[in-house]
Amino acid sequence: MSKEKSPEENAVDQYTANVLQNGISRRSFMSRAAVGAAAAGLGAMSLTGLTGSKAEAASVAECGEFAKSSDGGATLDFMPKPELIAEKEIASTKTFDVVVVGAGASGVPAALSAAENGAKVAVLQKQAIVVSQGNTGSGIDLAKSDKAGIEALVNRLNADSAHRCNPALVRSWAYNSGEAISWVIDRAKKGGATVVDQGTGPQHGIRGITEYPLNFVTSYFGPKPYTAGDGMRALAKTAEKAGVKFFFNMPAQQLVQEKSGRVVGVISKGRDGKYYRFMAKKGVILAAGDYQNNEAMSNYFIPDAKNFVRKQMDRTGDGFTMAFWAGGVIEPLGHTKMLHDFDAGPAAMCDMPFLAVNRKGERFVNETVAMSLMNNYLRDAENAGHYSQVFDADYMTGAKGWPGKLYSPEELKNYMPEDPSPKKGVFPSQTNTYKADTLEELAVKLECDPKTFVASVKRYNELCKAGKDDDFGKPANRLLPVEKAPFYGIHRRMRVSAITSGMLVNANHQALNADGQPINGLFIVGNMGGGFYGGVDYPLTVFGLSLGRCYTFGYLTGKHVAKL
Amino acid sequence: MNTNIKNKLVFALALTLLLGGLFAGGAVAADGVQLDQFHASQGVACADCHGADNQREAVPMIKCLECHDTKAVAAATADLQPTNPHDNRHFSTETDCNYCHHQHQKSENFCTPCHLRFEFVVP
Repeated sequence: MSKEKSPEENAVDQYTANVLQNGISRRSFMSRAAVGAAAAGLGAMSLTGLTGSKAEAASVAECGEFAKSSDGGATLDFMPKPELIAEKEIASTKTFDVVVVGAGASGVPAALSAAENGAKVAVLQKQAIVVSQGNTGSGIDLAKSDKAGIEALVNRLNADSAHRCNPALVRSWAYNSGEAISWVIDRAKKGGATVVDQGTGPQHGIRGITEYPLNFVTSYFGPKPYTAGDGMRALAKTAEKAGVKFFFNMPAQQLVQEKSGRVVGVISKGRDGKYYRFMAKKGVILAAGDYQNNEAMSNYFIPDAKNFVRKQMDRTGDGFTMAFWAGGVIEPLGHTKMLHDFDAGPAAMCDMPFLAVNRKGERFVNETVAMSLMNNYLRDAENAGHYSQVFDADYMTGAKGWPGKLYSPEELKNYMPEDPSPKKGVFPSQTNTYKADTLEELAVKLECDPKTFVASVKRYNELCKAGKDDDFGKPANRLLPVEKAPFYGIHRRMRVSAITSGMLVNANHQALNADGQPINGLFIVGNMGGGFYGGVDYPLTVFGLSLGRCYTFGYLTGKHVAKL
Repeated sequence: MNTNIKNKLVFALALTLLLGGLFAGGAVAADGVQLDQFHASQGVACADCHGADNQREAVPMIKCLECHDTKAVAAATADLQPTNPHDNRHFSTETDCNYCHHQHQKSENFCTPCHLRFEFVVP
């Protein structure tokens, strides 16, 4: 690396260089030497390790009908080359400054932000409505934070991503998110949303990260059943007032690209089967979400997620295919996933290290493992993300002071489908907490084998009595026995909320091609955007980081593209 | 397709859905007949959905909309418990019919396994 570059810039180059070398692109199966030579313009980037077999891949013909794996060995038939659409098949052509693909937590802010900065904007949405999930969206309140504290958090988020993310993008969130979240709250309110800024209150996960002031702006569109979906629908109303045109049931099919490589528009297919063209004078912003519902694409990029149920629908990775064929680079295999269950029982008790058993009823882990990581022990087809937290009548005293917040037996009723009490602030079809007078009865309710379950509890109680966890090494002060009726169980189901890896972008969220050069006119935000994460799982250090990043990058990119 | 058939279809669908609602607690479907047979009995020909050349192409949802009004369907099931499957937080009234209502195989409840206890009988 060049001596003139700061450590920060070198770190950025590390991320980008790795994605260029190992990611999936139209050129990744061509000669590595050619890519390396072209990438030399980026700086002293070395693409070493070229092997004979890789060099041979250069002989593969330029882009056939399907994409290829990074070594050229595998045909990725889930990413077919878009078919040429004849001019006569285009029912109409409309021209805008900015065309946004996807009306979700990143697309709607991007569209409004672009419109507020003077652009004429179209949003193309696959579904009939604006769709977004989750609730909390977080940013840093710069006025109430110390830079050393912010940098400590950036360091922690880099660590959460196993240091495989692009620190420049993490900083882009860190230093712009407070402004962006406040803006989303204000504009969503103007569209009729019920939304509050919860400030730093919900951010339990940041304790111990820094001794310097670190405060948050935290948007909350709840309580359930209200979600960020309602928030984004309200924000879209504000956007419509600002002149943004929404086109629903209008899934984008392919990008319109000039010979120079510049992306100048999008072709969508209406419900009537006709094609509609939307030209973008300044740029196209892809905010089309992840690919969790595209089985072949998921199994290729994130095989770990094979057996988990999907929480979303229609996330078929259309945006990935479009960006790929426009020359973009998909991050290397092993994408970051997000699996959690805040609905079965209280979210605030999800990380409490009670006895945990898998679907068979076996203890399977040191329960101090966070819920956000638990899926890794439950990847097989039988467990498929299911486990249960188990505790007894004395949990309120026994678990006092554990991470999170304890809910009393009375409060737990809200999460019990068998309890007749009216449910408030939960999704009734997702609650999954049970109470029983015997362990056998509880096992049945938790859908475990009673014999196995009772044996697991017996063994666990022995370890608790000894004060020493010979099986999994859990600390003595977390060994709470399960002895006194009534017994409780929270049956959590880890399902895929999102896949949060995506396309290679620079700090302006502009897509880069296989040479590391920006693709003119193409910007990528939201879960489709790469570089913000890098770990095996989405971290829960900052509650609402995911929506916070989506809002922030949408806000920034809309503004940026409008000003081009 | 003429208006008479269309009206009959809307009525039949609404009736089936209402019966489905009544029987939602039980495990038996109100009607074991597959929808292709039902459609055929109402005078719908293969070509009406699959095109005149009968190429058996995948049928887009818009074909369903030629006879079925999504808003009317949603209104017909507005009181279905525990929730109205035809007006939901994912797609509003525009859920792709084919997610649940299959023609040439048994229909399925697409709400489960995500939504526990959303026990619908799907015609």
